[in-house]
Amino acid sequence: MARFAVRRLLGMAAVLFAVSVLVFVIFNVVPNADPARQLAGRSANPQLVASITDEWGFDEPLPRQYLTMMGNIFSGKVVSYETRENVDERIVEGIPETFSLCIGAAVIWLFFGILFGYLSAVRAGGWLDRALTVVAVTGISIPVFWLAAILLNYLTYKLELLPSGGYVPLSENPLEWARHLILPWVTLAVVYVGFYSRVLRSSMLDAMDEDYVRTARAKGLSERRVMTRHVLRNSLVPIVTLFGLDFGALLGGVIVVEGIFNINGIGQYAYESLLNLDLPPIMAITLFGAFFIVLFNSLVDIAYAYLDPRVRLGESAS
Amino acid sequence: MAGRSPWYLAYRRLRRNRVALGFGVLFALIVAFVLAAPLWANGVADTGPNATHTLERVEVDGESREVVNREGKPVGPLWFGAGGKFFLGADGRLGRDEMVRLMYGGRTSLFVGVVASLITVLLATVLGLLAGYRRGWVDTLISRALDVVWAFPVTLLAIALGLALATGGLQIGPLHLSGDSIWVPILIIGVVYTPYVARPVRGEVLALREREFVEAAVAQGAGSIRVMVRELLPNLASTLIVFFAISVANSMLLESLLSFLGVGVQPPNTSWGTMIAGGFELITSSPQLTVVPGVLLLLTVLAVNVFADGLRDALDPRAKLRLEAHAGAPEPEGHAV
Amino acid sequence: MRKPQAALVLALLTIVAIGVSSCGGSGGKEGGTLHGTYASFPELDPTINFTAEGLTAMYNTYLPLYTYAHADGQAGTEVVPALAEDLPKISKDGKTYTLTLRNGLEYSDGTPVKASDFPASIERAFKLNSYGSSFYAAIVGAEKFAETKSGGIPGIEADDKSGEIVIHLTKPRGTFVNELALLYATVLPAGTPAKNLTDNPPPATGPYAITKVERGRAWSYERNPAWEKTNGELMPDLPSGHVDKIEIDVVRNKATSVNEVERGKSDWMQSILPADLYSKVKGKYEGTQFRVEYPLNTYFFWMNVSRPPFDDLKVREAVNYAVDSAALERIYSGALVATHQILPEGMPAYQAFDLYPHDMAKARTVLEEANPSDREVTVWTDNESPNDEAGAYYADALEKLGFDVTLKTINADVYFQTISNPETADLDTGWANWFPDYPHPNAYFQPNFAAENIGYTNLSHIDEPKLDAKIAKLGEEQLGPQQEDEYAEMDREVMEMAPWAPYGTNTVSTFVSSEIDLDKVIFNPTFGQDLTSFQFK
Repeated sequence: MARFAVRRLLGMAAVLFAVSVLVFVIFNVVPNADPARQLAGRSANPQLVASITDEWGFDEPLPRQYLTMMGNIFSGKVVSYETRENVDERIVEGIPETFSLCIGAAVIWLFFGILFGYLSAVRAGGWLDRALTVVAVTGISIPVFWLAAILLNYLTYKLELLPSGGYVPLSENPLEWARHLILPWVTLAVVYVGFYSRVLRSSMLDAMDEDYVRTARAKGLSERRVMTRHVLRNSLVPIVTLFGLDFGALLGGVIVVEGIFNINGIGQYAYESLLNLDLPPIMAITLFGAFFIVLFNSLVDIAYAYLDPRVRLGESAS
Repeated sequence: MAGRSPWYLAYRRLRRNRVALGFGVLFALIVAFVLAAPLWANGVADTGPNATHTLERVEVDGESREVVNREGKPVGPLWFGAGGKFFLGADGRLGRDEMVRLMYGGRTSLFVGVVASLITVLLATVLGLLAGYRRGWVDTLISRALDVVWAFPVTLLAIALGLALATGGLQIGPLHLSGDSIWVPILIIGVVYTPYVARPVRGEVLALREREFVEAAVAQGAGSIRVMVRELLPNLASTLIVFFAISVANSMLLESLLSFLGVGVQPPNTSWGTMIAGGFELITSSPQLTVVPGVLLLLTVLAVNVFADGLRDALDPRAKLRLEAHAGAPEPEGHAV
Repeated sequence: MRKPQAALVLALLTIVAIGVSSCGGSGGKEGGTLHGTYASFPELDPTINFTAEGLTAMYNTYLPLYTYAHADGQAGTEVVPALAEDLPKISKDGKTYTLTLRNGLEYSDGTPVKASDFPASIERAFKLNSYGSSFYAAIVGAEKFAETKSGGIPGIEADDKSGEIVIHLTKPRGTFVNELALLYATVLPAGTPAKNLTDNPPPATGPYAITKVERGRAWSYERNPAWEKTNGELMPDLPSGHVDKIEIDVVRNKATSVNEVERGKSDWMQSILPADLYSKVKGKYEGTQFRVEYPLNTYFFWMNVSRPPFDDLKVREAVNYAVDSAALERIYSGALVATHQILPEGMPAYQAFDLYPHDMAKARTVLEEANPSDREVTVWTDNESPNDEAGAYYADALEKLGFDVTLKTINADVYFQTISNPETADLDTGWANWFPDYPHPNAYFQPNFAAENIGYTNLSHIDEPKLDAKIAKLGEEQLGPQQEDEYAEMDREVMEMAPWAPYGTNTVSTFVSSEIDLDKVIFNPTFGQDLTSFQFK
């Protein structure tokens, strides 16, 4: 078990290394990406460009620049090209907002996803099942940014029911905190609710065939007990797996939602930095995001291995 | 039903699934709608998707109206008031015909979605087969590479690639793609989604390779490639078909997101994503410019998703039988899932 | 905190809150708290910032030796003394500037302002590779300092005892006083570190000091104690401001800001209005809460004169005839003022003329006379609305004119770097705008038309030695009536060469809540709304 975990950790590190190199390459080797000119701004002149090249070391060989930047990121000294602010600090500042957004949305999608999935499975084939399926599939099919735009327009401008964005810290005013985050939460959760309810439904229907269910019924347990105690619990395994993967990868979805709803989290920072071709924050944020994905992936794998010895001893199939 | 091929059985099951068929027809209608773009553009609206009409006027029921008024507000839907011109109104301050753009934009969105998915499935099949069947260092190499792409937050990677390539284009050896080529977003989306399909494919290959028919083929002296193509591939077919359909839905959504952010489809090409972005500017005064392309995109993706479900059910009968058993009386009518 | 203490604090806070809110709301003319919104967060370090938003934010906080007059329109383009006692004495050869620092000035943290703070501040600009540092490169020793970042700048002499400052230039520079009045030359304490101080802004010399900064989200101002104590008396010509506190929030969604100002939740929005609300707001509030303002700028289409087909003068003339400002007015939702020349109205030396009134038929005729063989043209534009639409319109107009056009839309954050980069292929023509760094005609002509700026700000790659010589000569002279006439003539001459097809000046607006006296708000053409002019009714 321990060896497996150690191997996974080494694998994680290798993957993160590869990700960082990939980002570096994308933004350096691609044509028209002269960072000195980018920094010098619109009205650059030769002296300024030369000065900047000198200051940041853009004329050094690429591998050297890469090492310098990585060193800076891990020592907490990395500084943005564009604004010269400390990138790591800004990322840390953005954590409460991004996490509020992610965790809130996750709670919502888990709750509704499991609820809808459960109801669909229990009433399989009936009208409730169909209705919930329609909701679920529609949820999966909605373009998130479009939904955000529509909700903003009708719920915020036209009807003035909810604020159009911004962030109120939880410590300051929990009610406002929630009120400001409801639209972003819903926007982010909609797709996952749909997806999870269908996965759970499918998984529960699979489980309902299993022997232990028949046994439980034979023992005289109520249908409800059978469903919740046995079927649901065992059907949650794929949900847990999926959740691990999805939550880890949430940074991507958060980029758009934060932008539209004016939330100054890491996603917003990522988006600004991308547009400015500001490599240091892009690197740092990508590594941050990749770290989470890899971490959650590994946790899920380790959990799998723990549960299923065949997987641990053979080659992992995931 | 002795003697019937599994494909025929699948086809029969699909036929019984009314809902999936219904959405399949919806999808076909949408495809027909966008394919009719040149007909509408030349025959009815008399304009192309990029032709601007900022200073022109249009005759509506006898009165002459500005296509774009002095404050930049575009004319709203005219329906057939001007003979079909500006059926859905003008698209903004450039005065382009929204209906024409909707149709041409749909072509682009569908094209990007379908072709990107083909690339995804193709790459995923090749990589999954190689990794799953050959194992060893090939597997390790491919799996690690997939891990790296997987580790990259999808949207971040797609935006980063889109940005980088939009400016300078892409050079692969002798092949040069300019930054605004439609192939840039297609390739990006195709590659970015590959790990999500390649991994399950690899998993299935791992399972299949232990089966008897594979052993038999190997015993008969079949080489790796033969085994992969002749034995494994046909058994993957149903999975691949379903993945393809789901990929189309996801690819269309990703394309619209990238285009909305300005790093997907580039002008002069239009897609529903770029139209939503353009409409967003004018959302308070002309909401139809945002709502209509979005609804169309939603319907298309929905249709694809539902049909994909139907395909999955048709190709995997266990799910269907189980459903019928639990619902009580067997229902030959279609189920949504 | 224990309960009784907490209750006491709560009570105190409530009393203070009531006090503050009644100050702002119930009609006191002086005092109150101004609530404003910006759509983006500017760098709040005066030496680093180069955005218009930052200028508006720091105009009344950080004072250089000189500043621009707190007035609207052309009156606001005049340079007046700030921390310096008077306009400088300039030697006959134009290379030596002598001035005296006012005696008794203080920073907001109580430390006195010393003459030696000035050269240290200029050095800081070079150390930070600030965009504005190029304006001071003409000071003796500055270029060497820019490279080595050590050894000081010998060309600036500062005597702390007498307050006298002498600046030696390598050659005469007629725009130097204008450049000394920019925020890049803000006088900051000598030890101020050479890094971005936005999170903890340096001490202020103006009437309002920045007190709290939440990066990316908000910042606020309070009255600068140093101003009340001494600076205000020493600089009686500079306004002290009416409101006591200013709180700014960053609200990226402009429609939200409009909503807030309409409801009175916000007193002022700094950014432009979103396009689809512009005409509605203008129609409803013009004169009472809304006013159109005219910053100095020109929006134009540049043409690369170094390659076909735009190397032919007649082709460029045809393009000028083909561009229709009426169409572009609509594209800018009515916020554009049409113009067909380089200098905008409100700029010193501006004299109106129009060499190429719109005439599509004439455009076609002129083009046929030129009959260029190369009709393949790439049009460049950025992806921000409405500039992308202006670019699309231009591409369409060129098509109608008879060219075979490819439109390339580039991300706004890298657009100018891309089109100025000589390595970019197919740089034929495209959209651009120009906001002069300061209100002096040379700030238009030198960057855009001097040959040395090809590959940087000279987008049309124009290389005319006679024009260069004239720009250099006028650049060395102080701006007087004769120079103004010569600049006006240069405007015509350049338009006769037609490297650009200018189409308009973009306006911005002042939009305030009903509690603010709109008539009192001053809009300086370079620095935007003047925070000292905001007053509650």
